[in-house]
Amino acid sequence: MQDTNASFSTRAAWAVLAVITIVALRIYCILPRPSVVKRTRRRKLTCALGVFLGSGGHTSEAIALMSALDFSRYTPRTYFVSEGDILSAKKALAFESEKAAQTDSHSTLGTDPRSPYGIFTIPRARRVHQSLFTTPFTALRSVLSCIYYITLAPLASQDNLPEVLILNGPGTACVLCVAVYVNKFLGLASPRLIYVESFARVGSLSLSGKLLRPFVDRFIVQWPDLAKERPGVEYRGWLV
Amino acid sequence: MHAFVTVGSTRFDTLVQRALSDSVIDVLRSKGYSKIVVQCGNSDFNTESYERCGDCWVRKGDEDIEVWRFKESLQEEYKQADLVISHAGSGTILDVLRMRKPLIVIPNETLLDNHQQELASALVNLGHLKASTVLGLPEAIRRLDPSSLIPFPPFVGSRFKEMLDDEMGFA
Repeated sequence: MQDTNASFSTRAAWAVLAVITIVALRIYCILPRPSVVKRTRRRKLTCALGVFLGSGGHTSEAIALMSALDFSRYTPRTYFVSEGDILSAKKALAFESEKAAQTDSHSTLGTDPRSPYGIFTIPRARRVHQSLFTTPFTALRSVLSCIYYITLAPLASQDNLPEVLILNGPGTACVLCVAVYVNKFLGLASPRLIYVESFARVGSLSLSGKLLRPFVDRFIVQWPDLAKERPGVEYRGWLV
Repeated sequence: MHAFVTVGSTRFDTLVQRALSDSVIDVLRSKGYSKIVVQCGNSDFNTESYERCGDCWVRKGDEDIEVWRFKESLQEEYKQADLVISHAGSGTILDVLRMRKPLIVIPNETLLDNHQQELASALVNLGHLKASTVLGLPEAIRRLDPSSLIPFPPFVGSRFKEMLDDEMGFA
Protein backbone atom coordinates (compact mmCIF):
# COMPACT_ATOMS: atom_id res chain seq x y z
CA MET A 1 0.00 0.00 0.00
CA GLN A 2 2.78 2.38 0.97
CA ASP A 3 4.52 1.54 -2.28
CA THR A 4 1.57 2.56 -4.43
CA ASN A 5 1.19 5.78 -2.41
CA ALA A 6 4.83 6.58 -2.93
CA SER A 7 4.69 5.83 -6.62
CA PHE A 8 1.50 7.89 -6.93
CA SER A 9 3.06 10.95 -5.34
CA THR A 10 6.20 10.51 -7.43
CA ARG A 11 4.09 10.31 -10.56
CA ALA A 12 2.07 13.36 -9.49
CA ALA A 13 5.26 15.29 -8.89
CA TRP A 14 6.55 14.35 -12.35
CA ALA A 15 3.22 15.33 -13.90
CA VAL A 16 3.28 18.75 -12.21
CA LEU A 17 6.87 19.24 -13.31
CA ALA A 18 5.97 18.29 -16.88
CA VAL A 19 3.05 20.74 -16.94
CA ILE A 20 5.24 23.56 -15.57
CA THR A 21 7.91 22.79 -18.18
CA ILE A 22 5.40 22.77 -21.03
CA VAL A 23 3.81 26.04 -19.84
CA ALA A 24 7.24 27.67 -19.46
CA LEU A 25 8.29 26.48 -22.93
CA ARG A 26 5.05 27.73 -24.44
CA ILE A 27 5.51 31.18 -22.82
CA TYR A 28 9.11 31.22 -24.03
CA CYS A 29 7.93 30.47 -27.56
CA ILE A 30 5.40 33.32 -27.58
CA LEU A 31 7.75 35.99 -26.20
CA PRO A 32 8.31 38.82 -28.68
CA ARG A 33 11.42 38.59 -30.84
CA PRO A 34 13.06 41.33 -32.89
CA SER A 35 12.01 41.01 -36.50
CA VAL A 36 13.50 42.66 -39.57
CA VAL A 37 10.50 41.95 -41.76
CA LYS A 38 8.52 45.09 -42.38
CA ARG A 39 4.85 44.53 -41.75
CA THR A 40 2.44 45.59 -44.44
CA ARG A 41 -1.32 45.50 -44.11
CA ARG A 42 -3.11 43.19 -46.47
CA ARG A 43 -6.56 42.41 -45.24
CA LYS A 44 -7.86 45.44 -43.40
CA LEU A 45 -7.46 49.14 -43.95
CA THR A 46 -8.41 49.93 -40.38
CA CYS A 47 -6.77 48.90 -37.14
CA ALA A 48 -8.64 48.44 -33.85
CA LEU A 49 -6.72 50.18 -31.10
CA GLY A 50 -6.72 49.79 -27.33
CA VAL A 51 -5.16 52.13 -24.80
CA PHE A 52 -4.89 51.98 -21.04
CA LEU A 53 -5.48 55.26 -19.21
CA GLY A 54 -3.58 54.77 -15.97
CA SER A 55 -4.90 57.92 -14.16
CA GLY A 56 -3.30 61.32 -13.59
CA GLY A 57 -0.10 61.91 -15.54
CA HIS A 58 -0.33 58.47 -17.18
CA THR A 59 -3.71 59.37 -18.68
CA SER A 60 -2.47 62.75 -19.94
CA GLU A 61 0.52 61.08 -21.58
CA ALA A 62 -1.57 58.32 -23.18
CA ILE A 63 -3.95 60.89 -24.65
CA ALA A 64 -1.03 63.00 -25.93
CA LEU A 65 0.33 59.86 -27.69
CA MET A 66 -3.05 59.31 -29.36
CA SER A 67 -3.62 62.93 -30.29
CA ALA A 68 -1.83 62.89 -33.66
CA LEU A 69 -3.15 59.49 -34.81
CA ASP A 70 -5.42 59.24 -37.83
CA PHE A 71 -8.67 58.06 -36.26
CA SER A 72 -10.11 56.94 -39.58
CA ARG A 73 -7.29 54.36 -39.56
CA TYR A 74 -7.34 53.49 -35.88
CA THR A 75 -10.94 52.48 -35.40
CA PRO A 76 -12.69 51.33 -33.30
CA ARG A 77 -10.86 52.49 -30.16
CA THR A 78 -11.09 50.94 -26.74
CA TYR A 79 -10.12 52.87 -23.61
CA PHE A 80 -9.38 50.86 -20.49
CA VAL A 81 -9.68 52.77 -17.22
CA SER A 82 -9.31 51.66 -13.60
CA GLU A 83 -12.42 51.33 -11.48
CA GLY A 84 -13.29 54.65 -9.84
CA ASP A 85 -11.07 56.67 -12.14
CA ILE A 86 -13.89 58.90 -13.39
CA LEU A 87 -11.50 61.66 -14.38
CA SER A 88 -9.76 59.46 -16.98
CA ALA A 89 -13.09 58.33 -18.43
CA LYS A 90 -14.12 61.99 -18.71
CA LYS A 91 -10.82 62.84 -20.39
CA ALA A 92 -11.36 60.05 -22.92
CA LEU A 93 -14.85 61.38 -23.75
CA ALA A 94 -13.58 64.94 -24.10
CA PHE A 95 -10.67 63.79 -26.25
CA GLU A 96 -12.94 61.76 -28.55
CA SER A 97 -15.31 64.67 -29.13
CA GLU A 98 -12.37 66.99 -29.75
CA LYS A 99 -10.96 64.57 -32.37
CA ALA A 100 -14.43 64.14 -33.92
CA ALA A 101 -14.75 67.93 -34.26
CA GLN A 102 -11.35 68.03 -36.02
CA THR A 103 -12.15 65.29 -38.53
CA ASP A 104 -15.65 66.61 -39.28
CA SER A 105 -14.21 69.86 -40.51
CA HIS A 106 -11.35 68.26 -42.47
CA SER A 107 -12.74 65.20 -44.19
CA THR A 108 -15.73 64.04 -46.13
CA LEU A 109 -15.61 60.49 -44.75
CA GLY A 110 -18.97 59.04 -43.82
CA THR A 111 -19.60 58.08 -40.22
CA ASP A 112 -18.51 54.61 -39.20
CA PRO A 113 -21.56 52.42 -38.65
CA ARG A 114 -19.79 50.67 -35.78
CA SER A 115 -19.38 52.44 -32.49
CA PRO A 116 -16.03 54.23 -32.95
CA TYR A 117 -14.97 53.86 -29.32
CA GLY A 118 -15.78 52.23 -26.02
CA ILE A 119 -14.63 52.77 -22.43
CA PHE A 120 -14.13 49.68 -20.28
CA THR A 121 -13.54 49.64 -16.53
CA ILE A 122 -11.05 47.29 -14.89
CA PRO A 123 -11.33 46.55 -11.14
CA ARG A 124 -8.20 47.61 -9.28
CA ALA A 125 -5.68 44.86 -8.54
CA ARG A 126 -4.84 46.47 -5.23
CA ARG A 127 -6.18 49.61 -3.62
CA VAL A 128 -3.85 51.97 -1.77
CA HIS A 129 -3.41 50.68 1.83
CA GLN A 130 -5.24 47.43 1.06
CA SER A 131 -4.14 44.50 3.25
CA LEU A 132 -1.76 42.02 1.64
CA PHE A 133 -4.00 39.10 2.64
CA THR A 134 -6.93 40.23 0.52
CA THR A 135 -4.78 41.39 -2.41
CA PRO A 136 -4.73 37.98 -4.18
CA PHE A 137 -8.54 38.04 -4.39
CA THR A 138 -8.86 41.58 -5.75
CA ALA A 139 -5.95 40.92 -8.13
CA LEU A 140 -7.71 37.78 -9.41
CA ARG A 141 -10.91 39.77 -9.97
CA SER A 142 -8.89 42.31 -11.94
CA VAL A 143 -7.23 39.60 -14.07
CA LEU A 144 -10.57 37.87 -14.76
CA SER A 145 -12.13 41.11 -15.92
CA CYS A 146 -9.23 41.70 -18.34
CA ILE A 147 -9.54 38.12 -19.60
CA TYR A 148 -13.21 38.81 -20.23
CA TYR A 149 -12.43 41.87 -22.38
CA ILE A 150 -9.36 40.50 -24.17
CA THR A 151 -10.01 36.74 -24.41
CA LEU A 152 -13.70 35.88 -23.99
CA ALA A 153 -15.67 38.78 -25.50
CA PRO A 154 -13.65 38.68 -28.77
CA LEU A 155 -14.54 34.97 -29.18
CA ALA A 156 -18.09 36.16 -29.91
CA SER A 157 -17.09 39.08 -32.09
CA GLN A 158 -13.54 39.68 -33.30
CA ASP A 159 -14.33 43.37 -33.79
CA ASN A 160 -14.00 43.88 -30.06
CA LEU A 161 -10.36 42.88 -29.93
CA PRO A 162 -7.77 45.62 -30.36
CA GLU A 163 -5.05 44.87 -32.90
CA VAL A 164 -2.63 46.98 -30.89
CA LEU A 165 -2.61 47.92 -27.21
CA ILE A 166 -0.78 51.00 -25.95
CA LEU A 167 0.43 50.88 -22.36
CA ASN A 168 2.04 53.69 -20.35
CA GLY A 169 1.81 52.26 -16.81
CA PRO A 170 1.14 51.92 -13.93
CA GLY A 171 0.31 48.52 -12.32
CA THR A 172 -3.00 47.64 -13.96
CA ALA A 173 -1.20 47.73 -17.35
CA CYS A 174 0.48 44.47 -16.21
CA VAL A 175 -2.93 42.87 -15.62
CA LEU A 176 -3.99 43.68 -19.19
CA CYS A 177 -0.72 42.19 -20.37
CA VAL A 178 -1.50 38.94 -18.50
CA ALA A 179 -4.80 38.69 -20.40
CA VAL A 180 -3.02 39.26 -23.72
CA TYR A 181 -0.65 36.40 -22.84
CA VAL A 182 -3.63 34.13 -22.17
CA ASN A 183 -4.62 34.71 -25.81
CA LYS A 184 -1.09 34.11 -27.05
CA PHE A 185 -0.83 30.97 -24.91
CA LEU A 186 -4.01 29.57 -26.42
CA GLY A 187 -3.00 30.59 -29.94
CA LEU A 188 -5.85 33.11 -30.23
CA ALA A 189 -5.54 36.47 -31.97
CA SER A 190 -3.87 38.95 -29.66
CA PRO A 191 -3.00 42.64 -29.79
CA ARG A 192 0.55 43.83 -30.34
CA LEU A 193 1.83 45.45 -27.17
CA ILE A 194 3.48 48.86 -27.19
CA TYR A 195 4.80 50.18 -23.91
CA VAL A 196 5.77 53.84 -23.65
CA GLU A 197 7.65 54.71 -20.46
CA SER A 198 6.50 57.91 -18.78
CA PHE A 199 8.19 61.26 -19.50
CA ALA A 200 8.79 61.39 -15.73
CA ARG A 201 11.29 58.49 -15.98
CA VAL A 202 14.70 59.95 -16.66
CA GLY A 203 17.27 57.63 -15.13
CA SER A 204 15.43 54.47 -14.11
CA LEU A 205 12.52 52.43 -15.43
CA SER A 206 9.24 52.32 -13.52
CA LEU A 207 8.24 49.08 -11.81
CA SER A 208 5.64 48.29 -14.48
CA GLY A 209 8.24 49.10 -17.14
CA LYS A 210 10.72 46.66 -15.59
CA LEU A 211 8.07 43.94 -15.32
CA LEU A 212 6.64 44.36 -18.82
CA ARG A 213 9.82 44.89 -20.82
CA PRO A 214 10.42 41.23 -21.79
CA PHE A 215 6.78 40.76 -22.76
CA VAL A 216 5.98 43.72 -25.02
CA ASP A 217 6.62 44.05 -28.76
CA ARG A 218 7.91 47.62 -28.60
CA PHE A 219 9.42 49.29 -25.53
CA ILE A 220 9.83 53.04 -25.96
CA VAL A 221 11.46 55.46 -23.50
CA GLN A 222 11.54 59.24 -23.53
CA TRP A 223 15.00 59.95 -22.11
CA PRO A 224 18.20 58.79 -23.87
CA ASP A 225 19.92 57.28 -20.81
CA LEU A 226 17.19 54.66 -20.45
CA ALA A 227 17.94 53.23 -23.90
CA LYS A 228 21.64 52.86 -23.19
CA GLU A 229 22.80 49.29 -22.56
CA ARG A 230 19.24 48.03 -22.86
CA PRO A 231 18.94 46.16 -26.17
CA GLY A 232 15.61 46.59 -27.91
CA VAL A 233 14.68 49.72 -25.97
CA GLU A 234 13.90 52.60 -28.33
CA TYR A 235 14.39 56.32 -27.83
CA ARG A 236 13.13 58.88 -30.36
CA GLY A 237 12.86 62.03 -28.30
CA TRP A 238 9.91 63.22 -26.26
CA LEU A 239 6.58 61.80 -27.39
CA VAL A 240 4.23 63.71 -25.09
CA MET B 1 2.17 90.55 -12.55
CA HIS B 2 0.64 87.31 -11.36
CA ALA B 3 2.30 84.40 -9.54
CA PHE B 4 0.60 81.00 -9.26
CA VAL B 5 1.65 78.32 -6.77
CA THR B 6 0.27 74.80 -7.27
CA VAL B 7 0.65 71.35 -5.72
CA GLY B 8 -1.85 69.67 -8.08
CA SER B 9 -3.89 66.92 -6.49
CA THR B 10 -1.17 66.04 -3.98
CA ARG B 11 -0.48 67.23 -0.47
CA PHE B 12 2.69 69.23 0.15
CA ASP B 13 2.35 71.08 3.49
CA THR B 14 5.85 72.52 3.68
CA LEU B 15 5.70 74.04 0.18
CA VAL B 16 2.28 75.63 0.77
CA GLN B 17 3.35 77.00 4.17
CA ARG B 18 6.59 78.37 2.74
CA ALA B 19 4.78 79.96 -0.22
CA LEU B 20 2.47 81.78 2.22
CA SER B 21 5.32 82.89 4.47
CA ASP B 22 6.38 86.55 4.66
CA SER B 23 9.80 85.77 3.18
CA VAL B 24 8.28 84.39 -0.05
CA ILE B 25 5.50 86.97 -0.30
CA ASP B 26 7.98 89.83 0.25
CA VAL B 27 10.36 88.65 -2.46
CA LEU B 28 7.48 88.05 -4.91
CA ARG B 29 6.18 91.57 -4.29
CA SER B 30 9.65 93.08 -4.66
CA LYS B 31 9.94 91.38 -8.07
CA GLY B 32 6.63 92.89 -9.13
CA TYR B 33 4.25 89.95 -8.59
CA SER B 34 1.33 91.77 -7.00
CA LYS B 35 -1.27 89.01 -7.31
CA ILE B 36 -0.47 85.66 -5.64
CA VAL B 37 -2.77 82.64 -6.07
CA VAL B 38 -1.99 79.39 -4.21
CA GLN B 39 -3.69 76.09 -5.09
CA CYS B 40 -2.93 73.98 -2.03
CA GLY B 41 -4.77 70.69 -2.70
CA ASN B 42 -5.03 68.72 0.52
CA SER B 43 -2.17 70.52 2.25
CA ASP B 44 -2.52 72.00 5.73
CA PHE B 45 -1.77 75.64 6.36
CA ASN B 46 -2.48 78.14 9.10
CA THR B 47 -5.86 79.66 8.20
CA GLU B 48 -5.83 82.17 11.12
CA SER B 49 -4.72 85.13 9.06
CA TYR B 50 -7.12 84.20 6.22
CA GLU B 51 -10.77 84.84 5.64
CA ARG B 52 -13.07 82.34 3.99
CA CYS B 53 -14.47 83.85 0.82
CA GLY B 54 -16.71 81.46 -1.12
CA ASP B 55 -14.55 78.58 -2.36
CA CYS B 56 -11.26 80.16 -1.34
CA TRP B 57 -9.41 81.95 1.44
CA VAL B 58 -8.24 85.55 1.17
CA ARG B 59 -5.48 87.00 3.35
CA LYS B 60 -6.88 89.46 5.88
CA GLY B 61 -5.97 92.97 4.80
CA ASP B 62 -4.46 91.82 1.50
CA GLU B 63 -7.01 90.76 -1.08
CA ASP B 64 -4.36 89.98 -3.66
CA ILE B 65 -3.36 86.76 -1.89
CA GLU B 66 -5.79 83.89 -2.49
CA VAL B 67 -5.63 80.24 -1.41
CA TRP B 68 -7.71 77.59 -3.17
CA ARG B 69 -7.94 73.88 -2.41
CA PHE B 70 -8.74 73.02 -6.03
CA LYS B 71 -9.38 75.07 -9.11
CA GLU B 72 -11.82 74.24 -11.90
CA SER B 73 -9.08 74.50 -14.52
CA LEU B 74 -5.38 74.74 -13.80
CA GLN B 75 -4.74 75.42 -17.50
CA GLU B 76 -6.62 78.69 -17.12
CA GLU B 77 -4.45 79.64 -14.13
CA TYR B 78 -1.22 78.83 -15.97
CA LYS B 79 -2.38 81.01 -18.84
CA GLN B 80 -2.90 84.00 -16.55
CA ALA B 81 0.30 83.51 -14.59
CA ASP B 82 3.61 85.26 -15.21
CA LEU B 83 5.40 82.83 -12.89
CA VAL B 84 4.42 79.32 -11.78
CA ILE B 85 5.83 77.70 -8.64
CA SER B 86 4.97 74.02 -8.42
CA HIS B 87 5.66 70.58 -7.03
CA ALA B 88 7.73 68.60 -9.55
CA GLY B 89 4.89 66.45 -10.96
CA SER B 90 5.54 65.59 -14.61
CA GLY B 91 2.03 66.54 -15.77
CA THR B 92 2.26 70.03 -14.28
CA ILE B 93 5.77 70.50 -15.66
CA LEU B 94 4.68 69.58 -19.20
CA ASP B 95 1.55 71.76 -19.08
CA VAL B 96 3.38 74.83 -17.78
CA LEU B 97 6.45 74.55 -20.01
CA ARG B 98 4.27 74.04 -23.11
CA MET B 99 2.64 77.39 -22.30
CA ARG B 100 6.14 78.88 -22.17
CA LYS B 101 5.67 80.15 -18.62
CA PRO B 102 8.62 80.62 -16.23
CA LEU B 103 8.58 77.72 -13.77
CA ILE B 104 10.27 76.99 -10.45
CA VAL B 105 9.72 73.42 -9.23
CA ILE B 106 10.21 72.10 -5.72
CA PRO B 107 10.65 68.30 -5.69
CA ASN B 108 9.02 66.74 -2.66
CA GLU B 109 11.93 65.23 -0.77
CA THR B 110 9.66 63.24 1.51
CA LEU B 111 8.44 61.01 -1.34
CA LEU B 112 10.06 57.58 -1.36
CA ASP B 113 10.71 57.51 -5.06
CA ASN B 114 13.19 60.16 -6.15
CA HIS B 115 12.15 60.29 -9.80
CA GLN B 116 10.61 63.77 -9.35
CA GLN B 117 14.05 64.99 -8.38
CA GLU B 118 15.58 63.26 -11.43
CA LEU B 119 13.12 64.86 -13.83
CA ALA B 120 13.61 68.29 -12.27
CA SER B 121 17.42 68.03 -12.48
CA ALA B 122 17.32 66.84 -16.09
CA LEU B 123 15.15 69.80 -17.11
CA VAL B 124 17.30 72.24 -15.10
CA ASN B 125 20.36 70.93 -16.98
CA LEU B 126 18.55 71.62 -20.27
CA GLY B 127 17.79 75.13 -19.03
CA HIS B 128 13.98 74.86 -19.27
CA LEU B 129 13.16 75.56 -15.62
CA LYS B 130 14.62 76.26 -12.18
CA ALA B 131 14.46 73.90 -9.22
CA SER B 132 14.59 74.80 -5.57
CA THR B 133 14.21 73.36 -2.11
CA VAL B 134 11.35 74.49 0.13
CA LEU B 135 13.79 76.46 2.26
CA GLY B 136 15.61 78.02 -0.68
CA LEU B 137 12.44 79.23 -2.44
CA PRO B 138 12.81 82.99 -1.63
CA GLU B 139 16.37 82.97 -2.97
CA ALA B 140 15.31 81.04 -6.11
CA ILE B 141 12.58 83.62 -6.81
CA ARG B 142 15.02 86.49 -6.18
CA ARG B 143 17.58 85.06 -8.63
CA LEU B 144 15.06 84.05 -11.32
CA ASP B 145 15.57 85.74 -14.68
CA PRO B 146 12.73 84.48 -16.93
CA SER B 147 14.55 85.59 -20.08
CA SER B 148 17.45 83.22 -19.30
CA LEU B 149 15.19 80.14 -19.50
CA ILE B 150 15.39 78.12 -22.71
CA PRO B 151 11.97 77.76 -24.39
CA PHE B 152 10.61 74.21 -24.18
CA PRO B 153 10.21 72.54 -27.61
CA PRO B 154 6.66 72.21 -28.90
CA PHE B 155 4.79 68.89 -28.87
CA VAL B 156 5.66 66.71 -31.90
CA GLY B 157 2.73 64.35 -32.35
CA SER B 158 4.12 62.88 -35.58
CA ARG B 159 6.90 60.95 -33.75
CA PHE B 160 4.58 58.46 -32.11
CA LYS B 161 2.20 58.47 -35.07
CA GLU B 162 5.05 57.36 -37.39
CA MET B 163 6.18 54.66 -34.98
CA LEU B 164 2.69 53.23 -34.66
CA ASP B 165 1.85 53.49 -38.36
CA ASP B 166 5.10 51.67 -39.11
CA GLU B 167 4.44 49.00 -36.50
CA MET B 168 0.91 48.37 -37.76
CA GLY B 169 1.92 48.27 -41.43
CA PHE B 170 0.48 51.58 -42.64
CA ALA B 171 3.28 52.47 -45.03
